[in-house]
Amino acid sequence: MSELGRHRWPALPAFAVFGLLFVGPLAFFLVVSFWRLRAYKLVPDFTLDNYLDVWNEYLHAAIFTLSISLLIAIITTVIGLMIAYLARFRAGRYGNLILFVVLVTLFGGYLVKIYAWKTILGTGGILNSTLVDLGLIDEPLAWLLYSPTAVVITLVNFLLPFAVLPIYGSLRGIDEVPLAAARDLGASGARVFRDIVLPQCKPGLFAAFAVSFLITAGDYVTPRLVGGPNTFMAGNFIESQFINRLNAPIGSALSYAMLIGCGLVLLLFQRALTRVLRPR
Amino acid sequence: METSPLAKTLWGLFGTVSMLFLLSPIALVVIFSFGENRLATLPMGGLTFKWYGKLMADPNFWSALENSLIVTLSVGAISTVIGTAAAMALARWRPGAASAAMMTLSLPVMMPPLVLALALATSLSSLGLRFGLHTVIPSHLVFTQPFVILIVYAQMANFNFAMLESARDLGASPWHAFFTIVLPNIRSTLIGAALIAMSVSLDDFIITFFTIGNGMTLPTLVWGMLRTALDPSINALGTLILIATITSSVIALSITRYRG
Repeated sequence: MSELGRHRWPALPAFAVFGLLFVGPLAFFLVVSFWRLRAYKLVPDFTLDNYLDVWNEYLHAAIFTLSISLLIAIITTVIGLMIAYLARFRAGRYGNLILFVVLVTLFGGYLVKIYAWKTILGTGGILNSTLVDLGLIDEPLAWLLYSPTAVVITLVNFLLPFAVLPIYGSLRGIDEVPLAAARDLGASGARVFRDIVLPQCKPGLFAAFAVSFLITAGDYVTPRLVGGPNTFMAGNFIESQFINRLNAPIGSALSYAMLIGCGLVLLLFQRALTRVLRPR
Repeated sequence: METSPLAKTLWGLFGTVSMLFLLSPIALVVIFSFGENRLATLPMGGLTFKWYGKLMADPNFWSALENSLIVTLSVGAISTVIGTAAAMALARWRPGAASAAMMTLSLPVMMPPLVLALALATSLSSLGLRFGLHTVIPSHLVFTQPFVILIVYAQMANFNFAMLESARDLGASPWHAFFTIVLPNIRSTLIGAALIAMSVSLDDFIITFFTIGNGMTLPTLVWGMLRTALDPSINALGTLILIATITSSVIALSITRYRG
């Protein structure tokens, strides 16, 4: 067996799983978005009607979803950058502790965290009762729970570990000697950060933004549990097309329309990031 | 870097607040699972184990626990074997090709879980398959194997392949060489990778929900409890899930080099 061939076959099972359980299903799912539904049965076809329906019926939901996802992804990336920067450059011996907390909160507790926020943010919840007890507010803030605010707080909390780690990964590789040299030559702290640190963590920033954005844009559990009656995101409509209306073609057309929208936003973000971080 | 006292204070404040923010939902669930009161409000009342007792008396809990154990252990074992084999192969590739392959195999982690779940459910049902644990397990593999591959690949980067070559030159079969040379060197990494795969699998709700049919795992049980009346034993269940996922990831992180 050739040298290359010998090092190819052990990777085959992993690629088979990837092909059969990711590429295959997503390709079939794409095909279904061009099919029709007749008497609750899928009928092969090639129609763009599902996409037209999505455009007419769900455009507002899609725009709302992309906007709130953009907001959440930006907040998460900025706070994630601050935490990663703190752990890498400012926290000294506490840096490892911060990293540990981030890693511990990464794995596990998706549903648990969402319903915990329900108890924290409610009118009788911990946050409101503490604020009232401290005399900072007179009566509980009703808009904390069952609102877009609650969705933002919950998802930022859930996504932060996913954002901190790739950014920290980029920051870890930064050599401290050029930083000290720039400071010695009179550059301000802000200038060093902007011109030396930030450009080097571009891949980490993009990864952090992409994960936060994609997970939010496809989420339906958080808006369902803490978003209240007026926060419907695309994921909720996709889910209800499947569960309540058993309409897979519309659901998959909406899914792919959202993925295209997400792809466009990520492309724009990458171009903006490249422009902002261009060395002066 | 030198820091002014004001900047130092502000960074300290930010660090404290952000760590509290990250930990508060988890801490709260654990604390209230031992609280006497029905409602999760302060003061929380006396210390009690009654919510755990209530949970243990629920037959749904035991069937969900059994299903979760079957899924988690199978997914952990299978994804570790498949992922390790892939990482071993990738470690011999050119670094560029290997990282492109790992990026590709990691796409399922980036895909919104709902879309992946519905694609899997639609495809599996059009193949005429009945849903159950046998459809959940393969569905989990696709998003747990990337973690194993990344963790084991990071370890294999430091592996001295000359040892393997000498064993092969001296007549060891590929399997014999793997079990006597490679495995003893990467055993702890493999345990760590398996534990990470298991915590990701154990915590999954969305993909499980759409591919399991009528059965229940611990997260889908949480979902069911969330939709019925206010039931504080949900805090007890949440605590058990957190203990399982956090303990295994802490062990995993302390024995591997994987840091995100």
